[in-house]
This record gives sequence, structure tokens and C-alpha cells, in this order.
Amino acid sequence: MSLVTVLELTPLISAVLLYAIPKGNTKLIKQAAIALSVVALGISGLIAYRFDTNATGMQFVESHNWISNFGIKYAVGIDGLALVLILLTTILTPIVLLAGWNEAEGGRWSVRTFYVLMLILESSMIAVFAATDVFLFYVIFEAMLIPVYLLIGGYGRGERAAAAMKFLLYSLLGGLLMLAAVIGIYIISTNQIGGTFETAKLATLHIDSLTENCLFLGFFIAFAIKAPLWPFHTWLPGAAKSATPATSVLLLGVLDKVGTYGMIRFCITLFPHATKTFTPLIIVLSIISILYGAFLAIGQRDINGLIAFTSISHFGFIVLGIFSMTSQGLSGATLYMVNHGFSTAALFLVAGWMVARRNSSQIEDFGGLQRITPVMAWSFFIAGMSALALPGISSFVSEFLVLVGTFTRYPVAAIFGTTGIVLAALYVLITVQRSLHGPAAPGNEGISDLNLREKIAIAPVIALLVIMGFFPKPVLDWINPSSTATMQAAGYSDPLPKAGK
Amino acid sequence: MFTSPILDYSLLAPILIILAGALIGVGVEAFARKEQRAPLQLGIALVSVVASFVQLLRVRNVRSLKAAIDSVAFDGATVFMQGSILVLAFFALLLIADRGNFVAQASAIPGSQDEHSSIAEGKSQTEVFPLTLFAISGMMLFAAATDLITLFVALEVLSLPLYLMAGLSRRRRLLSQEAALKYFLLGAYSSAFFLFGGAFLYGYSGSLSLTGIATAIDVNSGNDVFLLIGIVFLMVGLLFKIGAVPFHSWTPDVYQGAPTPITGFMAACTKIAALGAMLRIFYVALSADVVMWRPIVTVISIITMLVGAIAALSQRDVKRTLAFSSIAHAGFLLTGIIALNQSGLKASLFYLVAYGFATIGAFAVVTLVRDSAGEVSDMNRWVGLGKKSPLIAGAFCLFLLSFGGIPLTSGFIAKFSIFTAAYESGNTTVVVFGVLTSAIALFFYLRVIVMLFFTEPKSDAVTVSVPSLKVKLVLAASVIVTIVLGVYPSLLLNSAQSFASFLR
Amino acid sequence: MFNMALHVGSTQRPEAVLFWVMAPMAVLAALGMLLVKKAVHSALLLAWVMITLAIFYIAEDALFLGIVQVVVYTGAVMMLFLFILMLVGVDSSDSLVENIKGQRPASILAALGLGGLLLSLIARAVTNVDAVGLTTANTAGNVQGIAQELFTRYVWAFEVVSALLITAALGAMVLAHSERKHTSQRQLSVDRFRQGSLAQTAGLPASGVYARHNAVDVPALLPDGSAAPTSISPTLQARGDIIESAPFELAPSVEEEN
Repeated sequence: MSLVTVLELTPLISAVLLYAIPKGNTKLIKQAAIALSVVALGISGLIAYRFDTNATGMQFVESHNWISNFGIKYAVGIDGLALVLILLTTILTPIVLLAGWNEAEGGRWSVRTFYVLMLILESSMIAVFAATDVFLFYVIFEAMLIPVYLLIGGYGRGERAAAAMKFLLYSLLGGLLMLAAVIGIYIISTNQIGGTFETAKLATLHIDSLTENCLFLGFFIAFAIKAPLWPFHTWLPGAAKSATPATSVLLLGVLDKVGTYGMIRFCITLFPHATKTFTPLIIVLSIISILYGAFLAIGQRDINGLIAFTSISHFGFIVLGIFSMTSQGLSGATLYMVNHGFSTAALFLVAGWMVARRNSSQIEDFGGLQRITPVMAWSFFIAGMSALALPGISSFVSEFLVLVGTFTRYPVAAIFGTTGIVLAALYVLITVQRSLHGPAAPGNEGISDLNLREKIAIAPVIALLVIMGFFPKPVLDWINPSSTATMQAAGYSDPLPKAGK
Repeated sequence: MFTSPILDYSLLAPILIILAGALIGVGVEAFARKEQRAPLQLGIALVSVVASFVQLLRVRNVRSLKAAIDSVAFDGATVFMQGSILVLAFFALLLIADRGNFVAQASAIPGSQDEHSSIAEGKSQTEVFPLTLFAISGMMLFAAATDLITLFVALEVLSLPLYLMAGLSRRRRLLSQEAALKYFLLGAYSSAFFLFGGAFLYGYSGSLSLTGIATAIDVNSGNDVFLLIGIVFLMVGLLFKIGAVPFHSWTPDVYQGAPTPITGFMAACTKIAALGAMLRIFYVALSADVVMWRPIVTVISIITMLVGAIAALSQRDVKRTLAFSSIAHAGFLLTGIIALNQSGLKASLFYLVAYGFATIGAFAVVTLVRDSAGEVSDMNRWVGLGKKSPLIAGAFCLFLLSFGGIPLTSGFIAKFSIFTAAYESGNTTVVVFGVLTSAIALFFYLRVIVMLFFTEPKSDAVTVSVPSLKVKLVLAASVIVTIVLGVYPSLLLNSAQSFASFLR
Repeated sequence: MFNMALHVGSTQRPEAVLFWVMAPMAVLAALGMLLVKKAVHSALLLAWVMITLAIFYIAEDALFLGIVQVVVYTGAVMMLFLFILMLVGVDSSDSLVENIKGQRPASILAALGLGGLLLSLIARAVTNVDAVGLTTANTAGNVQGIAQELFTRYVWAFEVVSALLITAALGAMVLAHSERKHTSQRQLSVDRFRQGSLAQTAGLPASGVYARHNAVDVPALLPDGSAAPTSISPTLQARGDIIESAPFELAPSVEEEN
């Protein structure tokens, strides 16, 4: 059995183990869940350690027949791209479990169910990144909506049922379009090389251009909904406002990366010609996302809404990087996914603590927190700085790479993207200024600073943000070979710098 | 010159065993004491279903067109469909045997003194067991028959008991009787269409057997107008039985009015039989004339999906909602006919079993939700059931998710395989519509789930009664099958594949 | 043998005359069956349609079918039907109130459309087409031919029909048969005393009691002078055959009011 399978199963088995603990013993349940997710983190660390950075292609592969009638396999394997996203998942899960210690209380169901759902979600996220069989990917892609749906609808705030429903319907609609495309590509493979769902084999098919465009759109729209890209983003703000911080982190930080991951893994790899056709359109959409998200973020009064809209802007950057069709852009986009995961995690967690303490999610209610709760305010500040990609913090590296990658091929788009940075500075600084500095808003006097548990939870995130800002090389070493391989497989080579001009 | 006909009794035995069970059941009605009847009848019915299944297993590898001269084809599809009818009927019988779903005395006028006294005396109409067995035998024959006369006889044998049993609901008896009458009248009408179509096909080909019709189409000897009228009318009769639009209007009323176990039986088993016959007719007799009927079936399939999914959105009654969902599924199932290839047949077989189990399970849940007056099917009163009884409500959700085709449930694999088959045959339009309607359909399944789990229960007398052992068995089987076929569908897909063939 | 179609394959004059005389009558009778209000008339018209069909069958050389049609349908089924109608009441007629407005014209339109479509299609299909195969089918004789088919080729279907008949019988039993338990007078009087109130322990008042008229359709008067609806048979009540009892009531005495 491959280590990846072991890693997938660990949270699942952990979830089952939680059922051995009596329902009432919430403290033990929480401790057990965190401890078990740390075990998963350990296994993923082992995978990262054994990962061969020089090898191209999939590692830790494992393949079994699952539904032999359709040539469907349980096939997993990881390359650098999948590895970093899996690491992101396994690192963030224990952190959010620790940070969201009290979130499960007051939910519709028991505390145990919350942790079980979280662990199932972790397992399915690992599996979705590791799947190399399109059908397997699709099944997990759809199935993992259920735990998220239950987490938002059962443990969220405000209009949680409606928000959860909207999220689910959007995702399922996208999923069904993707299903049609999956069926389509399967039939084509049946006619050409015998029915299979293996990504590597599917990439060798010859598809006529109309069909290829349709299939590409089927996949792309599903991923764009998940990512979320303008104009498919409307489910996100509601979900982000309603979900608990822990769920939000996993939703925006990791789960939505499945969308951008899918674009790289399936859209570009399987449909290189259609990618070429649609690239200009997608670049435009991503620019709109960057600017739209940023502008709406500036106007937001709700702190969770703000983070949601900044994420839309950031996902615009990621998509821009992917479809710049340069290896720098792609590497930058991949790194961006990781960094955005950590940066959103920091933002959501700190914002969640602020909201829980203040009992309000309005930005103006947080005035003057800098003096009252310095640690919390500093954490939020650093998280905010990572959102605006300040040099020295990890997101700077990725944003820089994306823009450089884009500039070599689409200079105009890069310029528009750069305005996004300016706007980012605006929305982050305005928020920081409104919420942290200035006179203390009434009602803020008695707010307590982060306790030890929260400090332990946020410290690794902040540390990673800073360390990866100065020293991104190990991560880039994982990513670079696979992004070069992806670009080559899609038939692109990096444009040479036009020297001497 | 009379040569005595030779029947292959070993191949007809599965049907004959069921018929024998029914006859013994009739005898029991006549001779056994009242209080002994119910357990005796259930025992006889279950034993004959099991015995029939065993016999079917024993002869499963025999392939013959001569089982009953040229009237019955014993081929892979027959074995598979008869087997699945028997398995589903077994669970339906358990549900039928559960207490309190049937009228105490059908002849008593609703609301009369007679009715009260017969309820007080604890009477029960145990004739439903032989009637169910008759219906099962008709279904088994319907899926195997290869000439239009036998098809018609089987159609009637399966329908007549159903018409009757639809009127035997214990509660809301007037509604039930109205449903039975409606079903009977429309059913008789559609049978007439079937017969009329058969006559035209005979006029076209000079033969009543499916292979004879196929030969006539191959040599293109007959009158095309006769062929068209024949196909269309035959289709009317068959589409009525599976509840396809525009012949669906009986479905919601009958599903709502009939006793819930009968509704479950009807929804699961009749669909197998009717679709089985349809598949056989289209694959064996009419496959050469695909250009003529494929557009018609495609349009019907699409509007059936759309009407089923959209109309379900506005329903307020659980049984009616399930009825419209069954209409939508009839549309999906028709794609298997449109596909007209081996994978279409395989996918249809799988779909029917997956759908059948989820349906019986869903109706089993419906029988459990009650208030003091009996079953509650008003959706607004189901609100918050997840809190009162998470297990039962969870099972119901699972069935709904399977209807909706969410991955890791049997419904997903079913939809996937049937759409794949349709795509393979080049009918992408119907696949695209299928996918879109799935999205609409999902919305109403999710709405029910939200009602069950995400809405606070009103203080209402609605309770989920503790299921009896029989209902527990049904629920457990449905849940297990729905999950297992979703996670590891090869178990059934392999046998569906090996049995997916028609003898011509 | 008996052969009215002179030349099999094309319609000859006598048969044509027969058809054109009988067919319009059959169609009219069929329409009338739908349109008349009284069930008895409808049943009689149906019988007429069936007899006409039987004549057609015989004219088409399907002797056995024609006879069976007369014996089974017209003779047995229709007469049973009439018998039941008589039991229910000759005068009963269906309610023809439309629940959904506009359904009737819509259905008439649809029926006309379908009929027209079929008529034109079939007309196009059968003009200049010769019917074939009748001689072959009847070589050994009509009855023998049918018997041959029934007991060889279609013997299985023929046997299965028995299931249908049993189902029908069983169904009729289920719907109609009720087990009346015989209760003795003694039991009835015990029951009367054991029910909740003693109001009716003396039995129901007979019709006409205390009234100046003693027909069965005049309600009895209770001691206080009011009419007792329970004294009239429910059947008469359902039909509405109750005569107002007021004219026959005794004038209330003045003393009672004090």
C-alpha cells in the first residue's frame, strides 16, 4: 500500500475512532481529533521527506481496479503540485482544529459529529489531490461537498442553511457539467485506446476541436465555480459569512484550491488545444476577478465578507498565473495556492477570534484593538500584510512570480494585475486602520487577548508565512519540476526574454 | 394437424412457482381460519418467491427461445430482470405484511359503521398476498415474453392485481378508491392502445412475434404507415406503465392514493417489468427501424425528465414528490432505450435494480412517519424529523441522494452508466438534458433534506414509529444495497454485463 | 363452409353493403353510449355496438369470434351489467359536473385531432391494399384454426389467462364480499343496552308513528312532536324520497307550552 493511501485513510480511521469516545466527553474528543490529525501531519511529513525532487512524473503511485466494467481504477500518485497541496491540508487541519476549540458548541449536532466531519473532509481533500483517475477525482470532488455542506449548515452562523444550500447547489451544478465532460472523454477514450480514466492516458487522445472545447468548458466551469472565478463566485461570500472560522479556512484555504488544481491537472493537461483557444477569455475573467474582488473588498463592512472578496481577488491571480502558460507563472500560481491557504487561515482564524470576542463581525466595531489586545492585533496585521503581498512575507514571492510569468506573455494583463496589488494595499490598510488603530470603539475595553491555545494555533501559520517569504526554495523545488512538466506536456515552452531591446 | 406443444417446464418454473404460490394463497383464503391467514399467506408468499429465485439460479445459464414454444425467451436479460423482480418483491412483501397499511374490509363503505366494526374486530384483507404473487408472475412474464399476445396477457396479469390493490389503503380510503379507479380506467385504455398497436404491427409484418417483426422490418416488406402506427401505439401502452410524460398523469394520484407498500412495490417492480418489455421490444423487434422511433423516444425522454423534475418542485406531499421523481427517472431510463447498444442494456439493468432498492426503502420510511390518524405524507409535517429520528431520516436522505445521483450512492453509478451508454451511441442531446434535469431534480431532493435536518421541528404529534422487524429488514437491505452499489458497483455491474443480452 | 365474403382479399358488394349499413349505426350507437345520461340506455347501446361487431366478424369469416362475441360479451357480460344496473337503480345517472373548467372542449378537440390523424393515416395505408392470409388461416376451418393456435403456438398465453381470471374473481370477492355476522335478537337487545346512552333502547321509532299518516316515507313524530329522521329507511333518505311530515303532524297542544 502506498503511503499516500495510508495518509488518505488516517483521518478516515481517526473519524471512526472518535465514535469510540462517548458523546458527552467533548474534551477528550477534541484532544483525540487534534492528536490524530497530527499523526496525519506526521505521515505527510514522511511523504515529503521521501519525495524525490529530481524525478518527473508521479510518485507513490498505487493502482487497483475499482469498477472494472468502465476501466475505473483506484489510482493515486503525487507530483510536486499535489504534494504541496496535501501538505497544506495536513498542516492546516490540526491548526484549525486547535484554533476552533469552541466552534462546535451550539451547533445543530454534537461536538463529535463536528470533528468527524472535519476529519472526513481532510481525508477527502487529500484523496482529491492524490487522485490520478479522473473518475475517482470526480467522485471525491462531489462527495466532499457533503461534509462541507453539513459543516456550514449545521455549525455555522446566521443564514447558515441558505448559505450551505447555495454552496451545494452551485457546486453540484458545476459537478454535473463536469460529469457530462467526464463521460464525453471516457467515450472518446473508449473509441481510441479502450475505455480508461487514467489522466496520463487520456492526455494522449486526439479530440476534434469542437468536442474538445465543449469538454474543456465542462471541466473549466466546474473548477471556476469551485475556485471561485468571477462570474461564478456568488456563493462564496454567503458561505464565508456563515461558516465557522475553521470551516472557512478549510473551505477557502484548501477546498477551493481543488478548482485551481483541477485547472492545472485536467483542463491544461487533457485539453491543450482548447486551453489555447480559451486562454484570452480566461485571462480577462481572472483580471476581472482580481479587480472586482478588490473593489468589493474595499467596500465591505463585514470582516468575513472582506476576506471572502480578497480571496476572489487572489484566486484571480492564481488563475492568471496558471493560464499565463509559462512555468514561472504556473510555479507562482502553485506557490500562491499554498501561501493563500496560510494567509487566509491566519485571517479567518484571527477574525474569528475577534468576532467571537466582540460578538459582531462589523469592521468598525473592532476599533482600537491594537492597544487592548496587542498579540491578536499583530497577528491580524501580519496576516493582512500577507494578503497584500508585502515583500518579506511569502505571498510576495508567489505574486511576483505570477506577474513575471504573465508579463512575458501577456504584458497588458500583467499591468492590470499590478493594479490589483495597489487595491490590495488599499483594502488591507483601510481595514487595519479601522479595526486596529484609532480610538477604542465602545464595548471593546474588556476584550481579552489571545490565550495560550490560540497563540499555539496561530504561531505556526505566522511562522510559515514569514519563513516562506524569505526562504521559498524547498517548496519551489517541489513545485518547479511538475510545473515545467505540465507546461511541456501542454506544448508550451517559456518565451525567451527578448534581449537587447 | 395437431402436434402437442412442448413446454420447457424447468425454464417456466420460476413463473409457475409464483403462480402456484398464488393459488395456494387463494386456497388459504377459502379454508384457513381467519387468525391464521395473515402469517400463512406471508409464509407462502415468501417461500414461493425464494423458491422461484432458487430455481431461477439453477437455470441461469440456460439460453433458450423455446421455453414456451416461441412465446418466452429465456436469455440473460430475462434471468436478470426476473431475478431482480423477485428480490425486490421479496422486500415489498415484507413491507406489505407490516401492520396497518391495508383496509380491514374493502367492501365496507368508507366511514360506515361496518368499517368501524371491521376495524374493531381486527379484520384484514389477506387477499393482497395472492394478488401480489399474481402481479409478480405477470411482471416476470412481461419481461420475458417475445410475442405480442403473450406480452399483452402478461401486461394484464400484472396490472389487474395492481389496480385492485391500489384501492385498498387503510386511511383516506376515498382517495385510495379514486386512485384505483383512475388507474384502472387509464390502464385499461392504455392496454387497448397496446393491443391496437399490436394489431397494426401484425398488419405490417404478418407476425406477432418480435423476431418476425424484426425480419419484416429488415426486408422492408410491409406498409410503413402500419409500422409507424403500430410502434406509436405499442409505445403508448408501455410508456403508460412506466409513467412517462405525456402518459404520466395517473402516477402522482395513484402513488398517493395506493397503500404505501403497494406504491413501493409498484414503483420498483412494475418499472423493471415494463422497461424490460420495452427494452426487449425495441432491441429485438424494432432495432432495425431506429430512425423512425429514436426521435420520438428522445423527445419523450427529455420532456419526461423535465416535467418530472420541475413538477416535483411544487409538491407538498412526500408520496407525490416521490411519484414525480419516479417520472423523472422514467425519463432517465428511456435513455437506455435510446442508446440501443449493449452498454445501454447493461446500464438499464443496473439502473433498475439501484432505483428499485432506493424506492422501496424510501416508501418504507414513508410508512413509518405517522400521527394518531395514521401515515403522514404532508411534507410540511415532516419538518425537523432529523431531530426526532436521525437514523430513519438519515436513511431517507440517503435514498434521496441516490435518486439525485450523488457519488458514492448507487444512483450515481446508475446515472453515470446510462448516460455513458447514451453518449456512446452518439445521442449527446439527451445526455445534456439529462445532466441539466439532474441539477433541477437535485434541488428538490436537497429541499427535502433541508426540511428534515435543517429546520426546527414544530411541536406536532408526528412521530416516527418504531419499525417492526420486517421494516427494519427492508430498510437495512435498501441502505446496504444503495451504499454498496455506490462504492463497489462491480458486484452488480459484472453480472449485469454478463446477463445483458437478448436472444433473437 | 359458411362464407359470406365471396372473394377473400377484396370487399365484394354484399359485404360492402352490409358494412356501410351497419358501420354508421355502430358508430352512432357508440357515440350515443358516451352521450346519453342514463346508464341503462348506455348499456343497451353498448350491447348494440357489440352485436354489430359480431356481425362484422362473421361477415369477415371469423365465425368463431362472432359467435363468442355474441355469447360471451353480449350474452353474458352485458346482461350481467344490466342486471347490476337494475339492482343499483334504473334511474341512476352520472354526475356530469365539470370539476376543471374547459376540460371537456379541450378533450373533444384532442379526440377529434387524434381521430382525424388516425383516420387519414389509416386511410392512406389501407387504400388499394389487399387483405391476404385469410384463406390460409381458415384452411382447416375457422374454429379448428383458432383451436390449433390456442393449443399449440399460444398455449402458454392461454394458460396464463387463467391467472387473470382468478385475479378477477378474487378481486370481485375483495371488493364486494363482506362477512355479515348473524346476530340474534337477544344479542341486539343486549347491545342496545350496553351502548352509551339509553335513548334508543326501545328501538328506533317506526315510520308514521304518532303521525296522521303511516306511509313508509313519512317520518315518525317523537313525543315532543318533532320529526324523527331515523324512522325512515336510509335508502329512501338517500334518494330524497321523504315526504315532509309537517302537514300530518298533530297540532301541538297549548298546555305543553306552559
